Amino acid sequence: MATVPDKSVTLPVGDAPPLVTGNLGFHDITQLVSYHTEKRPPSTWYLAFAVSSTLLAVLLILIAYLFWNGIGVWGNNNPVGWGWPIVNFVFWVGIGHAGTLISAILFLFRQRWRTAINRSAEAMTLFAVICALLFPTIHVGRVWVIYWTLPIPNQMEMWPQFKSPLLWDVFAVSVYFTVSLIFWYVGLVPDVATLRDRARSIWRRRIMGFLSLGWTGANRHWRNYEKTYLLLAALATPLVLSVHSVVSFDFAVSIIPGWHTTIFPPYFVAGAIFSGFAMVMTLLIIARKVYSIKNIITLDHLEKMAIIILVTGTMVGFAYITEFFIAWYSQVEYEQYAFLNRATGPYAWAYWTMMSCNLLFPQFFWIKRLRRSIPFLFVTSIIVNIGMWFERFVITVISLHRDFLPSSWDYFNPTMVDILTLAGSFGLFLTLFLLFLRFLPMVAMAEVKVVLPESDPHFYDSHDDEEEA
Amino acid sequence: MISLPIVDAPVVVQTSRLWRSLPHLRQDSEFVESNQEEFLPGASNPVSGSRRHFLQLLGASMALGGLAACRRPVEHVMPFADRPEELIPGIPLRYATAMPLRGIIKPLVVKSNDGRPTKIEGNAQHPNGFGSTGVFEQASLLNLYDPDRSQVLLRNGAETSWDDFLSLCQRLQLGSRRVAVMAAPSSSPTIARLRAELEASFSMTTWLDYRAEGIDTETLGIELAFGAPYRPVYLFDQADMIVSLDADFLGPTAQNSGHNTRSFAESRRVHADKQTMSRLYVAESTYSSTGLMADHRRRMTSADVSRLAVELAVALGLREGDTPGEFAVHLAAELQAAQGHCIVLAGETQPAEVHALCAIINQSLGAIGQTVKLLDTGLGEATRPEALASLVSDMRDGLVDVLIMLGVNPVYDAPPNLSFASALERVSDSIHVGLHVDETARLSTWHVPAAHYLETWGDGRTWDGTWTPIQPLIAPLYEAARSDSEILGALASGSFERGYEQVRATWQPVLGNEDFESTWRRVLHDGFLADTGFDAVVPAASEFDGAIPASPGGLELVIRLDPTVLDGSFANNAWCQELPDPITKIVWDNVAIISPATARELDVSATYKRGRYYSDIVTLSANGQSIELPVWVLPGHPDNTVTVNLGYGRNIETTRPERDTPFWDTDDSTDVYARGTIATGVGANTYMLRDALARPIASGLQVSKTGRTYMVVTTQDHGVLDVAARPLIRSATLDEYLDNPAFALEHEAPTPGKDEKTRFEDYPTLWEDHHPTGTPALRDSDYWQNQWGMVIDLNTCTGCNACVVACQAENNVQVVGKKEVGNGRELHWLRIDRYFLSDDGVEVSDNPKMVVQPMPCQHCENAPCESVCPVAATVHSPDGTNQMIYNRCIGTRYCANNCPYKVRRFNYYNWSKTIPSTVQMAQNPDVSIRFRGVMEKCSFCIQRIRSVQKNAGLEKRPLHRDEVVTACQQACPAEAITFGDLNDPGSKVSLARSNPRSYTMLAELNIRPRVSYLARVNNPSSNMVESA
Repeated sequence: MATVPDKSVTLPVGDAPPLVTGNLGFHDITQLVSYHTEKRPPSTWYLAFAVSSTLLAVLLILIAYLFWNGIGVWGNNNPVGWGWPIVNFVFWVGIGHAGTLISAILFLFRQRWRTAINRSAEAMTLFAVICALLFPTIHVGRVWVIYWTLPIPNQMEMWPQFKSPLLWDVFAVSVYFTVSLIFWYVGLVPDVATLRDRARSIWRRRIMGFLSLGWTGANRHWRNYEKTYLLLAALATPLVLSVHSVVSFDFAVSIIPGWHTTIFPPYFVAGAIFSGFAMVMTLLIIARKVYSIKNIITLDHLEKMAIIILVTGTMVGFAYITEFFIAWYSQVEYEQYAFLNRATGPYAWAYWTMMSCNLLFPQFFWIKRLRRSIPFLFVTSIIVNIGMWFERFVITVISLHRDFLPSSWDYFNPTMVDILTLAGSFGLFLTLFLLFLRFLPMVAMAEVKVVLPESDPHFYDSHDDEEEA
Repeated sequence: MISLPIVDAPVVVQTSRLWRSLPHLRQDSEFVESNQEEFLPGASNPVSGSRRHFLQLLGASMALGGLAACRRPVEHVMPFADRPEELIPGIPLRYATAMPLRGIIKPLVVKSNDGRPTKIEGNAQHPNGFGSTGVFEQASLLNLYDPDRSQVLLRNGAETSWDDFLSLCQRLQLGSRRVAVMAAPSSSPTIARLRAELEASFSMTTWLDYRAEGIDTETLGIELAFGAPYRPVYLFDQADMIVSLDADFLGPTAQNSGHNTRSFAESRRVHADKQTMSRLYVAESTYSSTGLMADHRRRMTSADVSRLAVELAVALGLREGDTPGEFAVHLAAELQAAQGHCIVLAGETQPAEVHALCAIINQSLGAIGQTVKLLDTGLGEATRPEALASLVSDMRDGLVDVLIMLGVNPVYDAPPNLSFASALERVSDSIHVGLHVDETARLSTWHVPAAHYLETWGDGRTWDGTWTPIQPLIAPLYEAARSDSEILGALASGSFERGYEQVRATWQPVLGNEDFESTWRRVLHDGFLADTGFDAVVPAASEFDGAIPASPGGLELVIRLDPTVLDGSFANNAWCQELPDPITKIVWDNVAIISPATARELDVSATYKRGRYYSDIVTLSANGQSIELPVWVLPGHPDNTVTVNLGYGRNIETTRPERDTPFWDTDDSTDVYARGTIATGVGANTYMLRDALARPIASGLQVSKTGRTYMVVTTQDHGVLDVAARPLIRSATLDEYLDNPAFALEHEAPTPGKDEKTRFEDYPTLWEDHHPTGTPALRDSDYWQNQWGMVIDLNTCTGCNACVVACQAENNVQVVGKKEVGNGRELHWLRIDRYFLSDDGVEVSDNPKMVVQPMPCQHCENAPCESVCPVAATVHSPDGTNQMIYNRCIGTRYCANNCPYKVRRFNYYNWSKTIPSTVQMAQNPDVSIRFRGVMEKCSFCIQRIRSVQKNAGLEKRPLHRDEVVTACQQACPAEAITFGDLNDPGSKVSLARSNPRSYTMLAELNIRPRVSYLARVNNPSSNMVESA
């Protein structure tokens, strides 16, 4: 017997918690977001900027020191040719994944909650990729000829070696950076136009006017804009997956036990999303508090990110265990030893730090209460990034320090320069991020307005859904 | 001629003087110097004169302008205005010469680039030369260019002139002076002649052959046995059974190690045509290079070794005594079965009586004349142990007026109980001749800088007695430097005679007056005078039945020569300091080596922490002296004994300024030459622990822990190699080998390659179609005809390090210092891997076997380094070698990461920037100096390959078979390294590669290394049980 369909109407917006809370209207959002670029920033901003720009200065000084003296100022040695700089590179590239993932992939999947966080996540991506690009650049022995890695026509007909994964890296990361930059900038155009319209001073109006490319908000503009954005999202989506796959080839294409693994591309991508979301979470938890935009970046947003962290963290943990299984299954002594050495060797502390940070801690997100606890989210997001840094350390350094011939086994000790350079890269990242918060709208106002209930008064989507059903 | 009034202007005689300042008026020397400019003041001012004058001047300037170009350079460069015969700029020349080392002479051929000696090689044509060299011959090149060499004569520490010294010599001629000479042992006929002259010109002379390491107990022992100090030559290649009683005859410190290694290697080589090999038993008081070659090795204190010698004599029925132990009985049976094809030899730690006993054992077994050749050196009786003590007491009693110390450093290395330094003060004229302002130089009244052997004329006799001349390759780098013979001559006659004349005067009677010049030239060319060796004698049966001195017991201290810095004479040599000890792999230090059990007993340890070792410092007290040394726990070292090496704890003065750079520049911490001399402050002086007789053994050693630790740096940590899991070094017994000659391949990759049909090699490579070697660029190259490969025989390699230094000298490999070796940044292109082997099931044994494996770049055909370089800086050459293009390298270090052998070396700092200018002269101009930030590695000595090919090209001929010789191959005394063309089926390397023992490392990676190894074959006795 057919049951009578339940005709009682529930508002679609009521199904899920609203994406923007506090009954904000269009103008409220404009006001809330633009306001921060127009007034003097809070004193917290100045404090943070002082700290981060000091760290940036440290970075610059250390780079000068490095260029003057040579790679020896770091801890790299003979078996461990790649030390912290490459660890940092992979770490930052990984972080640089979340932004484009949120913007592009979640856009394509119509995840409307992304609108609150995509702008700052994309900015974070760009700055993380800048940090990432820094490391392979300064880690070469002769930095003044690094342009030889680029295919520049020359009288010697000497091309780069296209078989080298490092070269693929050069292309992958630079393409990723370029596309991410364009994508971010295109998304900024309507908001910059808003800032232009609100500008009081002539210079602000002129700069913003220049950057907004003559945006008037005309219907035609919007149509072109939406199409461009969609196309760019489609273009950026494969890049999100390819960049870290290519980065993982640096390791996977080699023959070193612990590196020579086919699982690396998906495992690296999962890890990148994992660490990227953790970094977005860390930054947004602070930003939404400092800038009082809790109504736009709501607890629900954070919870969704927590769920992604849980999923990707579990994927990464699964990869860790798979590696062990494959090592055992391969019956290759060198492979087996490489993994045994990770878990029980002189760097076991690093391995277990990685395991607990990446596999264990995110599991707490199964508990809803913890998913919605701001302090817990904050702490876990930092733990995850510590864990992900250690993952790259484990892969890079532990695999290298003991490979085939026990005669050449050695140990890697980071120097003060290594440590401060990593700290300095955070300085670079935070400085750029703080400048972004100061001068550009940190939330995509135009997009957030789209997810307000009043922008869709007839519940088109819901009606469509029902008709289809 | 045109008369030019301006040029020929009449000199105006000044009547009044013009002066600018008081110093000018007084013509103070400083003022005059500062004003010695090229042109007189005002020379560049325009002339005031007529137009005609001006034009005249212009014309004259034009005419003189051409002449000005002919002006002689002011600096003392040496233009080849008269080009020496045969010298083509840029093409090195080779000269035969020889190096005096520890009382004998080593025949050499030295390469000279534009007048700078740059590489030392053995003289293969010499009857006692073999063509190979040891560590010290190779490293002596750097001694020549040592920036800390003494450069001026010193009198009571102040600079003086050679004339001043000559006037001393003349003064000494007057009156009857009592002269004593302490000289490093020398085989030089010229020195012997001058010694006779010296003895004739002074009323009383004492001549002491002073060996820093102590008395030559071997010679003493043979003298005890046969009444004359015959010199033994052991023909290991004739022997089936070799018993070493603490004799490290294969080690770098053995006096005749070149010959020993070569003939021993001959007896160990196994191939299709030779299926037998000798058996080596070693009983020793430390782990030595000989010990690691042993088929059976017993570790015991040196006192126990002496007892074993007696037991062996008893077991052979040569003596009465207690019932010998199982081991001695076993040895006796095997020795007797060898029917004279056997050798028993004792080491330097053993007293003369044990050496005598060994001589008797050899004689009774019929070995003398068969495997042991005794040479009659005619040198008179061996130096007595008491000789030094009696000289020192003479000095103290004021019975010595003049003490001449030729190439010795007794203040540093004489037994401390003799208080040599205080006795030296009583000598009114003490003359020290040496390369450095060392410990003795500073306490002597006179110091004369010695000339290096590559700077002087000289001569000597090799181990077999062949007369060998030393011809200089370069004028002394320092004007004041003189050779030993020149100084002796000056002292004997009061006038200076050049070394060249002295040596010719010595050789004149030998070569005869007729045809002297042409014979002399031939001798210089060949580097020896044929048929001048000592005669072999077969002495009558020995009557010796002296007792073996009993050891007082207690903890024993064994004091040995160092395999890298010898007795300290190579301590200021950066190559030697950075050369890893063949056994412990320690660099830049000496340590007190103990066994794990003794370490537990003494409660001391060397803890491995983050790539370095932190050793407990202990105080070693013996013979009333004590020193502090870090301990080193060496598995396989005997219990209850401590081994220390000599040659460290030096204190050499230099006038070189210290390098001091601002805090942001690391040059002063990365430059090994930055802070004073190389040797100063490295290790501790273990000569301090010896008794008055300078014996190498001290009993009743006290060891106490200081509670402090010290960082010891090695190039390799202690790792037990699980051979079953990692078949890097493969070995079998002789029986197993005969059973299955290709046993080495059994270890090949586990799964797919087991049976013959699916050998991993037969699998197609993934990129066969597009393999770089298939490209026309390579195939069409002329170089394609030769495909280079190398084979290293693990059966004969003793790990002596000669190849490592040879490679360093040939390829301009820089020295990085202790700190950077500790950071894992050493640059040796060729390293010698050392592994301990434990018996099955034993994790870490107290008595493991040891194996060594030289590890150069393997020149893989599918090189993993090449495919990962983003800029194609490491590529394959058409002749099949993997080459580094330094100019192209940007330093990503990816290649080093991807090298499974980890043979690539990265320039973490700008090592070559800080090389002192004299050391720069030692660099080989045919090999690029590497800048910071680039990778480097073994190139198969590509410069040698190309130079041979170039010569062949000029002569329009194909390469001769085995014409190219790499530096490591050239140096190897064991001939363990074979290099050559794999395309030539008759080349040595092709034959060696077809040896069934041949295998390549990590073959399962399918990288196809061009270096293959011949698996080791041991020849253990079937009825012998190993003990721990």
